[in-house]
Amino acid sequence: MSEISVIATSTATAADLPTARLGQRFGRLDLQSQLALLAVASLNINFDELARDRIGICLAASAGSLSTDVNFWNGRNGVGGPSPTLFAYTLPSAAVGEVAIHFRLTGPNLCFVGDNKIILSEAADMLRRGEADACVCIFCEAVTPECGQIISVPPTATARAFFLKNDSEGTGTLAEFDRDIKALSAIIFPTQSAG
Amino acid sequence: MQISTHELKSKIIESLKLQDITPEQIDDDAPLFGTGLGLDSIDALELVVLLEKEYGIVIKDIEEGRPAFRSVRTLADFIAVKRPQ
Repeated sequence: MSEISVIATSTATAADLPTARLGQRFGRLDLQSQLALLAVASLNINFDELARDRIGICLAASAGSLSTDVNFWNGRNGVGGPSPTLFAYTLPSAAVGEVAIHFRLTGPNLCFVGDNKIILSEAADMLRRGEADACVCIFCEAVTPECGQIISVPPTATARAFFLKNDSEGTGTLAEFDRDIKALSAIIFPTQSAG
Repeated sequence: MQISTHELKSKIIESLKLQDITPEQIDDDAPLFGTGLGLDSIDALELVVLLEKEYGIVIKDIEEGRPAFRSVRTLADFIAVKRPQ
């Protein structure tokens, strides 16, 4: 019976971004995409070991693209209007595209706004259904001070990534028919679970 | 008034948030798009905004602006001609 395992986990925060070296175009990405890309890079997965069209991407963005939306909105009265580059990131799924392009992953992808636990169950389902052999999962919490002020939440900039695979050699497993999301979440999001 | 290509390259790097590249590394005559600097369509829009913000030049006809975006040198020449006095 196949098992779904967590092969690697990583975290990226705003403090890590200034020293990130992920190509000439990294600077133009929005905060969420930068965090997501850096978190996935920090997994140190050799994607060449798998067929890239069999690697899925599953992203949950706690606040969607709201921080970028606010930046874009705030730029409307400036000379020349808001930044065209920002416009491209006024979609919660933009970070999925950036990860797919950078790592050349062409498998299925999903994007959710809100709870991080949903990506675990959805990614596991993706693997169980045979749509992919592995899945890069990312949970982004990107709330800029300007956005936080509007929605009354503290600013935050963190992305956690983990790599799920149809494998039994990972650090934690999700047995078939076992939806013990809480237990697996404790492995992936230890500080959150402890709280 | 002609602007220096070095100044323009610095503004392009800043505007497009290009990383790990200096003005000295950009050839004045290299293509901005495709090969050369490798910019894309979103960068083109950002450059249009740059021209308006920094030099007061509004490009209303894309066909008029197209030749200007061939290289840093053609863009500097375009700014020199179109810049409001």
